[in-house]
Amino acid sequence: MKIAWKEMKKSKAKFLILGSIIFLVSLLTFIISGLANGLSQDNAALIKDLPTGEFYLNKDANQTYNLSKIDEGMQKQILIDYPNATAFSVQMGFVNDAEDKQHSIAFVTSTESQLFPTVKEGEIILDSSLKEEGLEVGDVLTNNQFSGEFVVTGFVDQQKYSHAPVAFINMTNYQEIYRVMEMQAIFIPGKETPTLSALDSFSNKEFLNAIPSYSAEQMSLNMIVWFLVIISGMLFAIFFYMMNVQKIGLYGILKAIGMKTMSLFKMIWYQMMIITLISLALSIALSQVFSFVAPEGMPFHLTMETVLPLSAVFIIVGFIGATISGFQIKKIEPLQAIQQGEM
Amino acid sequence: MATFTIDEVKKTFSNGEIEEEILKGVNLKLKEGEITALVGPSGSGKSTILTIAAGLQRASGGEILFEGKDMTKMSQEEIRQIRATDFGFVFQSSHLVPFLTVEEQLQLMLDVAETKFNKKEQSKAIEEILELVDMNHRKDAYPSSLSGGERQRVAIARAIIHRPKVLFADEPTASLDTKRSKGVMELLQELTRTLNLTTLMVTHDEEMLPYADRIITMRDGYIVE
Repeated sequence: MKIAWKEMKKSKAKFLILGSIIFLVSLLTFIISGLANGLSQDNAALIKDLPTGEFYLNKDANQTYNLSKIDEGMQKQILIDYPNATAFSVQMGFVNDAEDKQHSIAFVTSTESQLFPTVKEGEIILDSSLKEEGLEVGDVLTNNQFSGEFVVTGFVDQQKYSHAPVAFINMTNYQEIYRVMEMQAIFIPGKETPTLSALDSFSNKEFLNAIPSYSAEQMSLNMIVWFLVIISGMLFAIFFYMMNVQKIGLYGILKAIGMKTMSLFKMIWYQMMIITLISLALSIALSQVFSFVAPEGMPFHLTMETVLPLSAVFIIVGFIGATISGFQIKKIEPLQAIQQGEM
Repeated sequence: MATFTIDEVKKTFSNGEIEEEILKGVNLKLKEGEITALVGPSGSGKSTILTIAAGLQRASGGEILFEGKDMTKMSQEEIRQIRATDFGFVFQSSHLVPFLTVEEQLQLMLDVAETKFNKKEQSKAIEEILELVDMNHRKDAYPSSLSGGERQRVAIARAIIHRPKVLFADEPTASLDTKRSKGVMELLQELTRTLNLTTLMVTHDEEMLPYADRIITMRDGYIVE
């Protein structure tokens, strides 16, 4: 594929322009993906960080987490039958610090489990983002629906729910605040989980989508990401189409002297791969730099688990775009090119 | 001994309901080590017979026998293979690849012909051919920096680097002045003899005819002389 490389070297400006557009589009895609991931973490890290398993809600809740109440007797039996199961509840609320400053939080309580921190009555464990609001271990917090006081005993990293920091409290305290004895959901970790006929079951992904605003938020951002990916594919198709139109004479002569049509396709694919790989390498590097320099408070979370599949999609879409543009090569008649004169 | 026989070849073009017969049964035998020149007025069918013989378009009837095999019955891929390995082409314009140097143009042809040369053999073959066409001193030049005559000499080198058996030249001097045209024809004559090529050339320039071993005149789709 020396010929492909030589053409790129000789027509640097043309390929540089396409490369820089692909770089900008892929960079924007990575940044938006980082934001989508960041918002997703901000919205549901509490749920996302749980292992693969099955969530169960009350059938009457109509698949709405907030309306679910698990019958106490049923919960007790499930926890006996499945020792690794845990029942938990999450409700939005707030706490006041010693200076009466209000902090918006998501109260979380659960039955004893390794998946959630164990908290004694009157204690509270907070998401570490609350440190930035001035809270420290030993601080005393209050809630107007709770008769006692909470003492901060520790912080946990990256525990958010519905864009609010999570506050783990004891079940008894939770029941007092929300005047409810039942838990909202049961979670059983593992790949082979039981079917509980009295309850609706949800996979991790399905449960995330049951969180209000989660799917709407993710759907809009993901739509932008996919639009950008499609645009990059179209850019390749248009660019190579224009290039091919300019090179019809050249391709015709190459076909006349016996070059295979497949070799001409390989030439386009090689050029597409070089442009895409360089553009992606640069945009991946820059998006990682962006994650360090992003303004504080911007929910940006971009891991290689997101970047690599997205890069693969870029390559596939680029390949499809370049191939579509290459179909005109198949139609080129050598004779036409010869009659056209000098290229 | 003839390696290339054109037997009763016809070509009809249809434009809607109107059918026009360009070749009305052409018979021709090409011989090794000889330049056969096809001459005749515009529309006589000389370029059409050359392009059909070269496998660049299909005949409507008749046979084209190359080394005993009928090309009219071959698949597109078989014809492409023959074009790559056994045929060489020199066109009216040089049609060089604009982003390849002289040396790379020849390397490309060796790749297209799938010659089994190693790198050393490839370099030697290129050097020898460039010596033959007297272009060794311009091997690193791009087509844009070559004169018309130099470009045509490189095109000839590209046409013979893979040692084809048949050379097709369609008005190879049409874009050159008289001095350069004579230079190109002398080169074609020398190469045809030294490499024992079977050369079929179309020309309308009478000054080039003395370089041909045989002159075939065409008129209205027939060979008349």
